[in-house]
Amino acid sequence: MLLFVALFLPLYPLSAVQNLILMRLRTPVARAALLLLWPQIGVALLYVLRLEIPAFVVIWALLSAAFYALRLLTVRDLRLWASLLSSSALALTWGLVAHGADIAQLSLFVIWLSLPAALLVLLTGPVVRRLGAAYAGLYAGIVEHQPRLAVILTAVVLCTVATPPFPGFFAMLDLLRDLSSAAALGVLGIWLIWGWSATRLLQGFVVASSSREIDAPDLGRGGMATYVVALFIFAAASLHFTGGGL
Amino acid sequence: MDKLIVLLPALPLLSAVINALLPNNKRRRVARISIGSATITLLLAAMTLVEYLCVPQPTLVWLGVHWGSLYLDPLACIMTLGVASINLVVHVYSARYMAEESGYTRFYVLLDLMAAAILLMVTAGDLITLLLAWNLIGVLLYFLLGHDTRRATAQRYAFWTFFTYRLGDLPLILAAVLLVQAYHTLSLPLLFERIAAAPEAHTAFGLPLMTTAGLLIALAGFARSAQFPLHTWLPYTMEGPTPVSVLMHAGIVNAGGFLINLFAPVFVYAGDVLHLLFAVGLITALLGSVLMLTQNDVKKALGYSTMGQMGFMFVECGVGAFSLAIYHLIAHGLFKGTLFLSSGGVIGDARKHDGVPHDDVYTFVVERRPVASRLPWVAAAVITVVVPIAVLGLSHWLVGSHFVGQQGAVVLLFFGWVTGAQLLFATYRLRAESPWRTMAMVILSLVVVVAGYTLIAHAFDLFLYPDRALSARIFAAASIPLTTFEILVGILTLSIVSGWLATYYTNDKGDKRNDNPSELRLAFYSLVSREFYVADVYAWMNQVVLHLSRRLNVWARWV
Repeated sequence: MLLFVALFLPLYPLSAVQNLILMRLRTPVARAALLLLWPQIGVALLYVLRLEIPAFVVIWALLSAAFYALRLLTVRDLRLWASLLSSSALALTWGLVAHGADIAQLSLFVIWLSLPAALLVLLTGPVVRRLGAAYAGLYAGIVEHQPRLAVILTAVVLCTVATPPFPGFFAMLDLLRDLSSAAALGVLGIWLIWGWSATRLLQGFVVASSSREIDAPDLGRGGMATYVVALFIFAAASLHFTGGGL
Repeated sequence: MDKLIVLLPALPLLSAVINALLPNNKRRRVARISIGSATITLLLAAMTLVEYLCVPQPTLVWLGVHWGSLYLDPLACIMTLGVASINLVVHVYSARYMAEESGYTRFYVLLDLMAAAILLMVTAGDLITLLLAWNLIGVLLYFLLGHDTRRATAQRYAFWTFFTYRLGDLPLILAAVLLVQAYHTLSLPLLFERIAAAPEAHTAFGLPLMTTAGLLIALAGFARSAQFPLHTWLPYTMEGPTPVSVLMHAGIVNAGGFLINLFAPVFVYAGDVLHLLFAVGLITALLGSVLMLTQNDVKKALGYSTMGQMGFMFVECGVGAFSLAIYHLIAHGLFKGTLFLSSGGVIGDARKHDGVPHDDVYTFVVERRPVASRLPWVAAAVITVVVPIAVLGLSHWLVGSHFVGQQGAVVLLFFGWVTGAQLLFATYRLRAESPWRTMAMVILSLVVVVAGYTLIAHAFDLFLYPDRALSARIFAAASIPLTTFEILVGILTLSIVSGWLATYYTNDKGDKRNDNPSELRLAFYSLVSREFYVADVYAWMNQVVLHLSRRLNVWARWV
């Protein structure tokens, strides 16, 4: 049963299933839906099955998260990056599970970490339409030609790696509070690598000059406004739920 | 008072939002909005300080339920005024300096956000607000340093800075988590009360919690204030725009000293960590100064000078002189900011005037002035060794006769002694028409500076630490056994006196330049010119991790 739940709250190698399905899906909306719903199934199963969680699962989860975090460093495909980041982040849910968190706490934790990845996957649509591929380094320096797209891409990537004031930051603090000191050290190391990989990804898209000419329109004002509102609501909701005002 | 505190970080944030949202923004309007907000913020900071001086009572304002609080105590009052002042200078300077650059609005938006984040950090009343602001500063600095998106070097060094800052963020997060787990509160004033009530009730990683938390906080400070070996990012951040260099060297890099002061109630019970601060600070000060002397680029030399100054700041913390570290960081911020802003002018002047002094024959025959001379070396050596320690000792004795009993104060006297002696030696080497008069004028200036410095530092200490018992306990925590201390003082005194006598003697006998430097000297020079290979080691480690990542991806077939 534990292995069955580990399919949805991904632990390597079972996490490969989610990543494979995500890569096979054609549309960004379907991929985003998968990223959002898949881990919630895991949370629901945990609630229904009421499993006893052995201590080794937390170690397994940390190793799994670290494995995916390390791999993120050299991934250039935006879709794959979002997928692997989601696998790394969601594996950490087991830390909360082992500590006996209730279903509401688990469900929120999963939303805070999977929604940014889903937003990023959605963003691959506009990126592919404009650049031909969502691939870091292919067309660098989009901030010069498509500043709105660059701003949104940067904000969403920062959101995915749990940068304040986005909810992932508070979710990570919540998790760290419930872990042992040694496990907390491991989680902090994983968090550090997320930040590192995010800067590598952004440097492949947003900054630096590219030898290829970009001849595509910027993200429309409406599209930008949609993303800004979504991110704002997301951040505001997290401030509300964590008790930081709003 | 409550509204004023909230407005301090809120105003720059509002300015950033307005500038980001206004359609078809003109450059002049962007600068006006931003400078206007920076001016009002400075006025607000001054008002809060005046209000605190009138009613010296700390204020805690809660904006949220569990976190989101602002706390105004003497430290926050001083820091907000310092930050707001430098922020305004940078804003005004940038209006013209950045006029030809692309991304003008983006630059001002980031500058405003940075001001908001720093002001939030210095007024944070709880751990989560502090962590939030502390983390945001690193992220915003990354984008400010990489403002020129087409320069690969700017991006590379912005990344170095970001990574080092993230490395420093994590120990602070862990320290906060451990403190919350042990004392069950996020509020900083309440946390410090509970620590004072039961400082030794908890352990972490097999050590007393205060030692572990102090160590983690110190690590966060080391990364942010470029302490060895986490210093490599600092000199290279010159690749960013000059206003950002000013903001960083005059403000952000000093955050380590602020953090140590903020957590002073933790360090009272972590004497061993204070000794570590002293050691790391001393090594950083020495290496920063050595590296500064070998640079041929004025901005990079300033960068290493900042590293050295940050080392001194940590030395001050290490000996328990916490308030002096705050005075140091503000004074350093102001003079380093001035140096950066005038560095372009200095380079321009250097292009017009070669600065090579005329020789004696030219001075005598062409300029018809008497040939310059020096003092007798024995007299100069005695003045160099005796005068600074006498001036420093007397001025400290005047503000507090008990200072001799504080080990930290004595250690700082040594630094002052060496600095004063350095000044007098430089005066001796100057060669002047009337060397006695020149020496007398310099000694008079030294007296004025030292007396002013001592008085201001004393006033700072009284303002920042009105609880004299806490100040005394910090000094006590930083102390080492008296016998060891006295032996060290004896050795140091002997080294300094004999070192200066030897220097004067060698100088007087003529320092014949050795055209064939020894192998050892060459090896040392190459070590310094490669900046002790620290950056190379980091680059190698970076490549190893990236190689591992690629191998893992190939092995796992990208799923």
